[in-house]
Amino acid sequence: MKFSANGYYIESYQKCPNCGILMYANAEEDKAKRVEHNGEIYCSQRCVDWSIDRDARRAKAEA
Amino acid sequence: MDFVTMNILDSAMVSICREMGITLMKTSYSTIFNEALDFTCGLADMNGEMIAVADYCPAQIGGMPLLVQSCLKEIPIDEIEEGDIILHNDPYRGGLHTPEHTFFKPIFVEGEIMGFAVAIGHIAEVGGMAPGGFCGEATEIFHEGVRIPPVKIVKRGEDNVEVWKLLLANVRTPRVNYGDLKALIAAVDLGEKQMRGIFAKYGKAKVKETVADLLLYSEKRMRAELEAIPDGIYSHEDFVESDGVESDKHHRIYVDVHKQGGSIIMDYHGSSPQAAGPINATLGVATSAAYNAVLHMTDPTIPRNSGCFRPIEVMAPPTSLVNVDFPAPEVGGNTETHPRIVGTILGAMAEALPDRVMAAEGGTHCNFVFGGVDADTKEYFACYDLEAVGWGGRSFADGNSAVDSINGNCRITPVEVYETRFPWIVESLALDTDSGGAGKHRGGLGYTKQMLCVNDEIICSQMTDRHLLAPWGLNGGQEGGCGATLVMKDGEEEWKTMREAYGKASTSRFNNVSIRRGDRVQLRMPGGGGYGDPAERDADAVISDVKDGYISKEAAAKYYNYKEA
Repeated sequence: MKFSANGYYIESYQKCPNCGILMYANAEEDKAKRVEHNGEIYCSQRCVDWSIDRDARRAKAEA
Repeated sequence: MDFVTMNILDSAMVSICREMGITLMKTSYSTIFNEALDFTCGLADMNGEMIAVADYCPAQIGGMPLLVQSCLKEIPIDEIEEGDIILHNDPYRGGLHTPEHTFFKPIFVEGEIMGFAVAIGHIAEVGGMAPGGFCGEATEIFHEGVRIPPVKIVKRGEDNVEVWKLLLANVRTPRVNYGDLKALIAAVDLGEKQMRGIFAKYGKAKVKETVADLLLYSEKRMRAELEAIPDGIYSHEDFVESDGVESDKHHRIYVDVHKQGGSIIMDYHGSSPQAAGPINATLGVATSAAYNAVLHMTDPTIPRNSGCFRPIEVMAPPTSLVNVDFPAPEVGGNTETHPRIVGTILGAMAEALPDRVMAAEGGTHCNFVFGGVDADTKEYFACYDLEAVGWGGRSFADGNSAVDSINGNCRITPVEVYETRFPWIVESLALDTDSGGAGKHRGGLGYTKQMLCVNDEIICSQMTDRHLLAPWGLNGGQEGGCGATLVMKDGEEEWKTMREAYGKASTSRFNNVSIRRGDRVQLRMPGGGGYGDPAERDADAVISDVKDGYISKEAAAKYYNYKEA
């Protein structure tokens, strides 16, 4: 048995902070695309860019 | 593309999926399957892409690709053997909610997996805190029943008895569950067998090539539909009322719909954090709701498969109302939050597609669940009772009355069957006058079902919505009527809400209320919102509605300037 870092799961995964998709620990093809940004792991550079664009757009709309 | 073969193969595969569904319906034990048809049957390729599906439950249709793909991440394809059947219901691993059990069986051809037969069904009793699988006051997943990560329930054609024992020991109705689970297995067995026939007739290479073309064809047609919609960012918000735990706190669903060329992205960032109670949607639900909304706004003749979904993306922030994380509860996300997400997307797109969206529908499945020991048979019974709502008015027509909410496509259980199977007498079931929102095209009507308890005790729970927040109207249309759940105890003469009668935090979400012999329950289902200015409604339609009892003379005078002749 393999347990996740938080001990909740037999299999471990985390979610992309932008799109919310599951990122499995054992999926090699997914691992290659992952990007770290502001201390969080995103599933891809596209999600990092989308997140930055959204924040900028919403900040502009509020200003 | 060989369009002739593609068309023949598409029709054959859809026909197989329908046949799987009929098998499930006819062999199951529960009314949720054999009357309500709360299931979906489909076929997937070896990557988990849905290649065909029958026209059953839209919530499960949209959820199918992520479900199968999540399973394949955990059980690698080279560990799946001929005759295996995999079972899965884990909401945190691509699932929809705990009651939704997914079965899939590999289709082996000459020793190679060519795809999967898939059946998803709502099992009526799954253990947990409340009989019937909907614990309206749950605060963690463990209250909501047995959670099953992908496991082989059948191994090389033989029942995996240890798994069966574990499952059936944790539910209140093992005999009925056994029958329903076997019905789901019968469906995937049939799908696998029929698809092997297709491969035998056309050959592996031809089927593979044609299916790839079919998915591409659906994708191209969907992109063409999307290209016709003006580019832009369309936003909207709606709310889920209460969560059964924090009294009357509303929870926001927000969406920015990014429409660009032949693609569309639903960005849900801005939605509320995940709730304490069981209204949270899984990622599978948020994804399925996006697909559902797009399918409602586009050409219904596009073949339904994963190709339709390729142009659609979802951004669902983790630990939110639209992407729940362990161990938060989630059972109502699939039934109540899903239609609210669809409504939010349709509300956003009303500006760009005023002729293709409707005003808000009732947006709940009622989810009145109950169980107990039958006084006559001494056997434990449990039921998931879904009811219908009024749909929203449209630019060209009134909303439909008494139709299952937008993600269900299920049927109401007939009164005769209901009374035969469960210890209730249905005293009345009638459309509610004035429950459809006024408009040039009025909303569809909701209805009220009144039941008398004829058992010593029935333990009742509910997870519904629209008791406080009415379905919104569109383009000048008025709100639809709210729903309600009322109880009148034996010997009393006053109807009370569950809050008044039992001190529950919410009127629409509660669990384990003891209804006794002679008590009565009323389930009032919401109507749909109206579309367009009521002053523009055709005068003959108003007169006809008054005659039919759909609207009262008072409402007709108020909204439509009606004067009695």
